[in-house]
Amino acid sequence: MTVSIHLDDIVQEYPRPGGGLNRVIDELTLHIDAPEIVMLLGPSGCGKSTLLRMMGGMRPYGVQTPTSGSVSIDGEPCLGPHDDTVMVFQQYANRPDLTVRSNISFPFRLGLWRRRVPVAEQRRRVDRILEAVGLADKAELRPWQLSGGQNQRVALARALVLKPRILLMDEPFGALDAQTREEMQALLVELFQENPCAVVFVTHDVTEALLLADRVVVLSAGPAKVVDDFLIPEARPRSHAWQRSTATLALEERILGHLHASGGPGQVRVTV
Amino acid sequence: MWNPYVPLGASQRRTLSLVGVVSVLISWSLLSGLGLVGPAKLPAPWDVGGALVRLSWDVGRGESPLLIATLWSTSRVLVAGMLVIVIGVPAGVAMGASPKIDAIFSPLIDPFRSAPIVAVLPILVMWLGIGELMKITFLFLGAVVYLVPMVRDAVRSVPHTYFTSARDLGATELEAVRLSLLPMAMPRIADAITVAVSVMWTYITVAEYINAERGLGQLIQNARRFSAMDQVFAGIFVIIALALITYSAMVALRRRVFHWETT
Repeated sequence: MTVSIHLDDIVQEYPRPGGGLNRVIDELTLHIDAPEIVMLLGPSGCGKSTLLRMMGGMRPYGVQTPTSGSVSIDGEPCLGPHDDTVMVFQQYANRPDLTVRSNISFPFRLGLWRRRVPVAEQRRRVDRILEAVGLADKAELRPWQLSGGQNQRVALARALVLKPRILLMDEPFGALDAQTREEMQALLVELFQENPCAVVFVTHDVTEALLLADRVVVLSAGPAKVVDDFLIPEARPRSHAWQRSTATLALEERILGHLHASGGPGQVRVTV
Repeated sequence: MWNPYVPLGASQRRTLSLVGVVSVLISWSLLSGLGLVGPAKLPAPWDVGGALVRLSWDVGRGESPLLIATLWSTSRVLVAGMLVIVIGVPAGVAMGASPKIDAIFSPLIDPFRSAPIVAVLPILVMWLGIGELMKITFLFLGAVVYLVPMVRDAVRSVPHTYFTSARDLGATELEAVRLSLLPMAMPRIADAITVAVSVMWTYITVAEYINAERGLGQLIQNARRFSAMDQVFAGIFVIIALALITYSAMVALRRRVFHWETT
């Protein structure tokens, strides 16, 4: 599956409440040209989420986004919401009135996906993804009968059932406990290998970034610029031995160094 | 120790509620039984009971006046209720989903919640006459001014994440309203309908006072004209009972259909 996301010379300014402009993103250029997992790191408030929403073509009201520069998907300028991306957030927004199965198949009730995916294929995909996220036996339960981790699986399944070419994830596992987070990370790797697509994953967890990334992009804060961009060729799933190796620890130091240097007010997490 | 969050046991609750009702009945019996209040003002409970029996079956005419009156009143509430739901719910949903539609219609609807709707009755009589059309319209207006704002608020109180996430998945605006906002608002819309129906039971007598031909309001009105206070009381009790039955049925139905909402 080919995919390309090109962000060129992106500048984003927001009006300050007291007047004047606040530049949150400054001439940022980022090209993603292959199915890969790109981990986007940076101090909080550095504009990661804004960038992510730009790729999804989602625009905040009343502010021009981006202020200047261009976003293009597969060479086409991206001017509004488009159908190739699906977003997963930390808040999973599962519907309490629907069962797990209905929550996952919800997009197929929308005209857009109903037209695109034949009914038989829809059923097959939903069954398949229920197995994949390990919720096949919970298909008829409702979200409030599930744990936080299971709910996040439902949200992930709802995104992946669409086989998106671009998957945008905004700190999706940020609110989960350590063990559940590890499970979800393993699940993401597994599902990615089955169905490679461009994953852009915002996190402030350095360990998570090193565990999942094909490519790590580090942003500075106020305004955001790319301060580092490197590949991690190690095959996934990545062993604990690899995670504790000197080379990996060096990468961790490298990222932390950038984050501290940019002096943002945000917090950075390293899971041990 | 007093703690408002500890639920009362079912039997204790029933006992306490019964104590309330029984003590009123006893005071009432004492007041009329001891002759402290005359039967023209307050009929004794047993007289009201007698009136209920007599109204249940009219031997002379071989029919049940109470049943006929009840059927008439119930059908009026039913017809007006259907209209309130069919017109009021979509209107409320539209107002909840669109601030523009809300801006247009809320000044036309909201003030009537506190307006004396009964005072509108003479106008309705002049416009629509004294027949069924006027009665149904009156019930409809009385209830719809409560229903529409409640439905609107029900839609508005749905957390916006459900709307946004549907939109993010590619839902059109209409789909986001129909498939996300509406189903999530349904339990509170059901509450609004329950309130609207209760309101209609309180207005039914007023509607039926005019051109008192059939219905419980007519029954009460006629009894009052002949100073048959026992029958007036009997009529009122029947209306209260009907309203109570409708209310509990609707609450039970809501709990069954929207059981997901209890958490």
